[in-house]
Amino acid sequence: MASDNIYKVLKATVEEVIDESPLIKTFVLTPESPFKFSTGEFIELTLNGFGEAPFTPSSSPLISDKLEITIMKTGYVTEKFHMLKPGEVLGIRGPFGRGYPVEKFYGKEVLILGGGCGLAPIRSLLYALEAVRDNLKRVVLCYGSKSPADCIYKPLFNRLNKIEKFETYRTVDKYEPGWDESVGVVTTLLDRVNMDIENSVAIVCGPPIMMKFGTIRLLEMGYKDAQIYLSMEKNMSCGAGKCGHCMMGEFFVCKDGPVFTYEEVKHTPDLWK
Amino acid sequence: MNNLFKINRDEWFRLIQALSVSSYNIYAPVRKNGGIDYTIINDENKDEIVYNEAKPATPLKMFFLPVKLNVTEPEKVLRKTIIIGAPACDVEGLKLLDLIYIDEKFSDETYLSRRENTIIISTDCYVTQEHCHCTTYGINPYPENGCDISLSTEKDDHYLMTWSEKGDLFIKELGSSAQIEALENNKIESISARREKTINELSYKNSNLPGTEKTKEKINKSGQEIWKKYSSKCVSCGACSAICPTCSCFLLIDKPGFQKIKQQDTCQYPAFERVAGGEDPLKELSKRFKNRYMCKYVWKPERFNAIACTGCGRCIEACIAKISKNELIMELA
Repeated sequence: MASDNIYKVLKATVEEVIDESPLIKTFVLTPESPFKFSTGEFIELTLNGFGEAPFTPSSSPLISDKLEITIMKTGYVTEKFHMLKPGEVLGIRGPFGRGYPVEKFYGKEVLILGGGCGLAPIRSLLYALEAVRDNLKRVVLCYGSKSPADCIYKPLFNRLNKIEKFETYRTVDKYEPGWDESVGVVTTLLDRVNMDIENSVAIVCGPPIMMKFGTIRLLEMGYKDAQIYLSMEKNMSCGAGKCGHCMMGEFFVCKDGPVFTYEEVKHTPDLWK
Repeated sequence: MNNLFKINRDEWFRLIQALSVSSYNIYAPVRKNGGIDYTIINDENKDEIVYNEAKPATPLKMFFLPVKLNVTEPEKVLRKTIIIGAPACDVEGLKLLDLIYIDEKFSDETYLSRRENTIIISTDCYVTQEHCHCTTYGINPYPENGCDISLSTEKDDHYLMTWSEKGDLFIKELGSSAQIEALENNKIESISARREKTINELSYKNSNLPGTEKTKEKINKSGQEIWKKYSSKCVSCGACSAICPTCSCFLLIDKPGFQKIKQQDTCQYPAFERVAGGEDPLKELSKRFKNRYMCKYVWKPERFNAIACTGCGRCIEACIAKISKNELIMELA
């Protein structure tokens, strides 16, 4: 924690801005003091005097002197984030919440289903899994985006494919000339992965509609409720289970999540909204 | 704890004056605007304090969660606070707020500091109001725990019972400058009789209203129709939440200098749960309306094992559309 006061920020300078897609940018930040987090935990990022929004870092949890945040331009605050230039100073609060229980994946096959900007938290998870790959059986990443141009972290896939035990599959909803990988929604990739389901966990992160159909498909494949890990998107504001904006039934997503098993949250009304 | 003391009225007045001059801000209910509400007490108005009457218009939470507060830096506490006259229902509500705002990992600094620097002297309700229904939810109309000291008046005497270490220390502090008699027994028959009378009165008045478990069950099983019906008059003003002793949601507002302002908020307002991109599970008014009931009777009790509706009835009194929570619950039952 940057401070005992949960509302006080740790300042961080924008070092670099990377264009990932027409709507998505990654901001490389240098916090004024080392910032530690576990993969899947999130932070609140403040634009001085303007607003704040929750993001899960997309960088490696093993690195604490740099932090990467990948942001999709989708609303009022994110639009302003996209106008940031190197040298500008932001505020960080956190880390908050419960991330991915990586140790529980030991000895198993890990199937990851990502959609759109949902690949941001997954990239951080992939770094974490890479570091412990001796303890894992296999890591399979299935990623879907709207079009080839919307496909983010292009160098990541080449790199992962060279790592032992890792394999990646990509698909786009809409074909464009030059694309030589799959076409179709992300769940279609699941027909090809051939997982040892009994001895596997599945991780889903993406837009609500993709999370819904991804989960349904995984259940059809034979995954049990407790084997599916979802990363829920809510309006997390304070980050500490107090402000109430992210309440989902009896849960505070900011504190009890954002990572939940499907087992934990399946009774929640309007889960996919 | 649970030590009983007696102090006579004149001595009590003298004490209040001395404390307000020396080191405390004292708040207590007085009559105003056709009801009673907290005001700051000084030598001039100390004999206007209303004891043992339900209930101050303002819920107790407002002392700890003001409408708007800059939470960037710790608050400077210049004087400690004494609150006299908080009813038992509000004290019960504060237990839930403590669970939300003070936890092992993340505590809210200003809330914690205000709680630590406040002495709560809760009072019995000998007189109740039209919509009071604390007993329906298992709360007695007199302080039992959660406060620092409870106060019951009986003719010219004030009986003080301690309920916390802070309360014991406070009485000790008072004892050096006032005549306070420590009593051997910790039960005064005439006060017990009054309490019994108030309980009977409330139970009789609210005999058709189901208790917490049944209310929870009925709300859980309800369809959307009843919520549409009752919310059709709702204008999303949020008065029910603002006045509720346990509603405590807030908005963080950013100001230059990385300052954070915490401002009272409610799930009754549009866009409360809206996320980037526009998805909003509570877009429809009837869903927002139902959300508050789910929170009070299902989710918060499950999550915190605490009472989240204390039966104070303020939301019924505050609703400009005259929506009665209790009518709704009785219709469900």
